[in-house]
Amino acid sequence: MPSNQLDPNKWVDRYSDYLFNYTIVRVNDREVANDLISETFLAGLKSAKNFKGEASERTWLISILKRKIIDHYRRNNSKKGQAEVKINYTGEDSEGEWLEEQVADQFDRTAEDEMENNELGLAILDCLDSINEKQAAIFKRKTIDGVDTEAICNEFDITPSNLWVIIHRARTALAACMEKNWF
Amino acid sequence: MSKKNKSLFVDCSEAATCCTKAQYDEAGFFEKIKLMIHLAFCRTCRTFSSKNSKLTRKIEEANLKCCSEEKKREWRESINKLHREEHS
Repeated sequence: MPSNQLDPNKWVDRYSDYLFNYTIVRVNDREVANDLISETFLAGLKSAKNFKGEASERTWLISILKRKIIDHYRRNNSKKGQAEVKINYTGEDSEGEWLEEQVADQFDRTAEDEMENNELGLAILDCLDSINEKQAAIFKRKTIDGVDTEAICNEFDITPSNLWVIIHRARTALAACMEKNWF
Repeated sequence: MSKKNKSLFVDCSEAATCCTKAQYDEAGFFEKIKLMIHLAFCRTCRTFSSKNSKLTRKIEEANLKCCSEEKKREWRESINKLHREEHS
C-alpha cells in the first residue's frame, strides 16, 4: 500500500541541499544547478497527481531532476554545430612540451576521488535527513555554510551554550549514522 | 545564564562540548587544556574525540555545498504560489 505523500511546502527545506549537491557535480555550474532544481520543483508540483506514493518524495524528485539534467545536456549538445579545435603547439620550438603537460599530477584529484566524495556528501546529507530537523538546520548553517556562532544564535534565538549542545547532538547522531559505511 | 566552570577537571558532557568547539577552532585556550586533561584519563571521551575528528575530516572531504538562502526563499515563494493556484 502506498505510504508516501507529497508535501510541496517542505520541499525546499528538506531536499534543496541534497538536490543541489546531486546536481552541482553533474553540471559543474551553480547557476545551471539552481535553474535545474527550480525546474524540478515546478515540474514536481505540476505532476504531483501522478505520484503513486510507492517511492519516497526525495527519490521521486531525484528522478525528475535526472531527466532535467539529461535535457540540459541534450539542449547544449544540439547547440554545438561546430567542433572547436585547439592547436597549442604550432612552432618547432614547442615540440615535446605536450609530453610534459600529459604527466600525471599526483596532487590532482582523480575522477574516482570526485565520485567518492560526491557519494560521501550525499551520504552525509542522507544522514542529516534522518536526524532532528532543527539540529540538522543549525548544523548545516554552522558546518556547511560556515556562519558565525553569534549570527546563528540570533537567527534561531538560542544562546551559544544551546548552540554547542545542539551541534554536539547533531554530530553524535551523524557519526552514528555514518559509522556503518564510512568510518 | 550558565555558570563557567573554572576547574581544570571537567565532566564528560563539558569535555564533549569543548571537543565539538575545537572541531570549529572555537575552543579557547583554557577549554583546550581542560579537554586535554579530561582525555588523558577518560577512554570513552578519547574514542568520541577521535570519531569527532574523523567526522570533521569526512565533512571536509565531501566538500558539501548549500544553496543560497536567497535562492531557497525564491523557490519557496514560487512553489507556494503555484501550489495555491492549483488548489484555488
